[in-house]
Amino acid sequence: MSTNSQRRIDVAGFAIALLLLALAGLVWWDMSKLQILSPYDLGPKVMPIVVSIGLVLLAIGNGISALRGDLPERESLDWKPIVLIFSGLAILITFIALGWGFMIGTAILFAATSTAFGRRAFLVDLLIGAGLAVLVYLLLGKLLTLSLPAGPIEKLF
Amino acid sequence: MSQFRKSLWRGALAAAAVAGFVTSAAAQMELKIMAPAAPGGGWDQTARSMQQAFTQAGIAKSVQVTNVPGAGGSIGIAQLVNNSKGDGNQLMVMGYVMVGALLTNKSPITLDQTTPIARLTTEYEAIVVPADSPIKNAKDLAAAIKADPAKVTWAGGSAGGVDHIAAALFAKAAGADPTKINYIPFSGGGEALAAILGGKVTAGISGYGEFESQVKAGKLRLIGLTSATKTANVDVPSIKEQGIDLEIANWRAVVAPPGISADQKKALTEAVDKLAKSKEWQEILKAKGWEDAYVSGDAFTKILNDEIARTKEVLTAVGLVKS
Amino acid sequence: MEAFYSLANGLTVAIQPMNLLFALIGVLLGTAVGVLPGIGPALTVALLLPITFKLDPAGSIIMFAGIYYGGMYGGSTTAILINTPGESASMATALEGNKMAKAGRGGPALATSAIGSFVAGTIATLGLTFLAPYLVDIAVSFGPEDYFALMCVAFVTVSATFGDSPVRGLTSLFIGLTLGLVGIDILSGQSRLSFGIPELYDNIEVTTLAVGLFAIGEALYVASRRHIQEEKLEPVRGSLWMTKEDWKRSWKPWLRGTAFGFPIGALPAGGAEIPTFLSYSTERRLTKHPEEFGHGAIEGVAGPEAANNASAAGTLVPLLTLGLPTSATAAMLLAGFQQYGLNPGPLLFADQPNLVWGLIASLFIANAMLLVLNLPLVGLWVRLLAIPQPWLYAGILVFATIGTIAANPSPVELIMLTVFGVLGFLMRRFDFPIAPVVVGLILGPIAESQLRRALSISLGDPMVLLQSPISATLLAIALIALVLPFVMKGMGRFKAVED
Repeated sequence: MSTNSQRRIDVAGFAIALLLLALAGLVWWDMSKLQILSPYDLGPKVMPIVVSIGLVLLAIGNGISALRGDLPERESLDWKPIVLIFSGLAILITFIALGWGFMIGTAILFAATSTAFGRRAFLVDLLIGAGLAVLVYLLLGKLLTLSLPAGPIEKLF
Repeated sequence: MSQFRKSLWRGALAAAAVAGFVTSAAAQMELKIMAPAAPGGGWDQTARSMQQAFTQAGIAKSVQVTNVPGAGGSIGIAQLVNNSKGDGNQLMVMGYVMVGALLTNKSPITLDQTTPIARLTTEYEAIVVPADSPIKNAKDLAAAIKADPAKVTWAGGSAGGVDHIAAALFAKAAGADPTKINYIPFSGGGEALAAILGGKVTAGISGYGEFESQVKAGKLRLIGLTSATKTANVDVPSIKEQGIDLEIANWRAVVAPPGISADQKKALTEAVDKLAKSKEWQEILKAKGWEDAYVSGDAFTKILNDEIARTKEVLTAVGLVKS
Repeated sequence: MEAFYSLANGLTVAIQPMNLLFALIGVLLGTAVGVLPGIGPALTVALLLPITFKLDPAGSIIMFAGIYYGGMYGGSTTAILINTPGESASMATALEGNKMAKAGRGGPALATSAIGSFVAGTIATLGLTFLAPYLVDIAVSFGPEDYFALMCVAFVTVSATFGDSPVRGLTSLFIGLTLGLVGIDILSGQSRLSFGIPELYDNIEVTTLAVGLFAIGEALYVASRRHIQEEKLEPVRGSLWMTKEDWKRSWKPWLRGTAFGFPIGALPAGGAEIPTFLSYSTERRLTKHPEEFGHGAIEGVAGPEAANNASAAGTLVPLLTLGLPTSATAAMLLAGFQQYGLNPGPLLFADQPNLVWGLIASLFIANAMLLVLNLPLVGLWVRLLAIPQPWLYAGILVFATIGTIAANPSPVELIMLTVFGVLGFLMRRFDFPIAPVVVGLILGPIAESQLRRALSISLGDPMVLLQSPISATLLAIALIALVLPFVMKGMGRFKAVED
């Protein structure tokens, strides 16, 4: 084996195969807790069984291609922008969960994303994001009477 | 163009009239009504119709409708019980479907934790068969089920819903084993209706509104409604009158959060009482084809508790709820 | 030609200035809400119902029809320009359309989508006028086994979206199938893969998955590689309009898309997603430019867009003839009818001919209006791409999140959106195709539940799949489509050996 494979074994590829295997296990475990209720229905278990067997086979397939080093080359990765966008989303989610409304979170998400894409004007972007949020709130919340997550700021309108 | 302007004017005048009326009436309640479903469904329409009638009749100063969709109302009721405790201006629309959904979803929150206010409307279930079916009435259907429950296929809404429960109760009343019914849940009324019209199933069960136009056009045969006695809008005696002891209805009601004071409960009940009697609400009921079934106070609490007990029994029998 | 006479009559209703105005308001509103993912025509009609209560029935129902068609246009515009499908039916459009936009061909992509929608909408509305009574009989005779067979055809054909590696394509599909399991199983009422989280009981929303994978995944991916290669967007490269070549490559996909969309849309459980994906796969197979697929092939926009709009007209067939609402929007239109005491159904054509034909005629008008409104706007729309990149992507994220919370104001929904965004990013990085995930989520649950229904009705006898002529035919087609490529390959190899 080692003689003919000059290519490096792909660690990430193995991780993907393991993840698929774990997913298959999860689907199987979840399936085992279901009951068959109707005497005529094929039951809710068949599809999860099919899916988890498929996932196991695909885990093997992905494992083989990782072994062969078939996965495409990956470029280097810049984590900073990802972390920025991710934090923006996390802040929005937290604010909504805490009942602080969506406007502040939306403005922060806008500014964080634009910073991630290389702009250096956080405060200006914060204002633009807030403007967008107000516009959306007036259109959806007031005109269409949709219930958007409301906090102290939304209640001013 | 002029016609459009006219209707705009009419709208503006109506709004002005309403505004004037509100200031003259002393009602200053600022109500919030939660529809524990996405915009567009039955509960949402009920909430928004209440909003319309409450403000137009001048019973409340303002009414705000919020939507908390998810899991047959389980998410909405959890929010009501956890976040609105003691709020005397909050109402939540709910219905019979929620009783079943809370049981099958094993929700940690139960309806006992809310403060029941009133039942508003009701819709009876209808059992139909394709027009060319050999089954002519409830007795025929009961006989067929008793002979072989597997061969009688039912099309209706989701498992554990009111249609499913009604089908199970029908089988039980017919003397068959309710756990052996061949009930096939469909997503959405249209799909079930298509299966019945196409003759893919023996019978269909759903709210009468879903079938009404097909029955009138002669494409489906109405076996009967699940009301106590024949209702005015159909020609067929009720299933109970045909000798099958089945009575069930899909009702809608409003409840308030837990922990409100007796005064707050009284104020809310009075407001809803006024709503139910208002001309505006009656007009909406007529336009939407909803049947008035107004019951408030302790009478409603009793109905609610009875329904919970009966539903639990049926759902346990078909295996959806473990006792 | 009684239908002709009635249609002409309907046109006189629809072109009353007042009703024209309602149609205009409808298409404008529809386009505006179609742009936001999560908020579709159904929701808009639902929210407008109480407002229009006092208006005259013909006018407001005409407005609702305008919203319906307008929503379709708005959804595809964002799919093409910013890879954010406003509705699940616009997903197939995003695949090639956004690639075209990034290559500076956003103008032709929008144009072929607008004209294709017009062509398909017009043909399908004609179909609705003349074929509805016949089509509806076939539609109703479609049983669960036939739907299952149709899903088999769909599964086989979507392999066209798999890209070059079958293992990676199937992996994506099975991730989608796994996601399709999440939630309450409609046939047994039990929850699967929900771990006691009530928000997961209602199944995974297709638009949440699509927007997460497409829009957010893409934003993360582009951001992570900025240090290697700055993405440069030129709004217009070459012609802003469709060239002669573009027309030549578009007209057949338009017609084929219509042929998929209209009949499948008319099926009670057909929907709009399946015909769009069938159309995409077909165009990918038939194209003379296979090398362009995946990099912005115009056929891949023209076909699905036509299918999308034709299916919208298709859903009106069972609605108007039987009173069967087969999509969320159709259900809201039905509620709109009922609000005025009108019951769509077998008797509607006889009882309210003016209203029905007025509605059908206004569909023609809404379609023409959308074309006239959208074509001149193409130049303006593509300018959106000239917005500085940081603002463009920031705007995409804001749109994606707000659309999601407007449809369902819950943090859990946003967490799902974020998780799908990360999934989309990782899949791009490791070169897994994205579309099969969405396909799996859509097709998996339908295939499962229809098969289980068919077997429940037949009391477990699998022969039911072959006894129904529709199902048997469709299964044969699926089998041929599955085997044919291998046979062709084998023949090719055989020939090569002979040479």
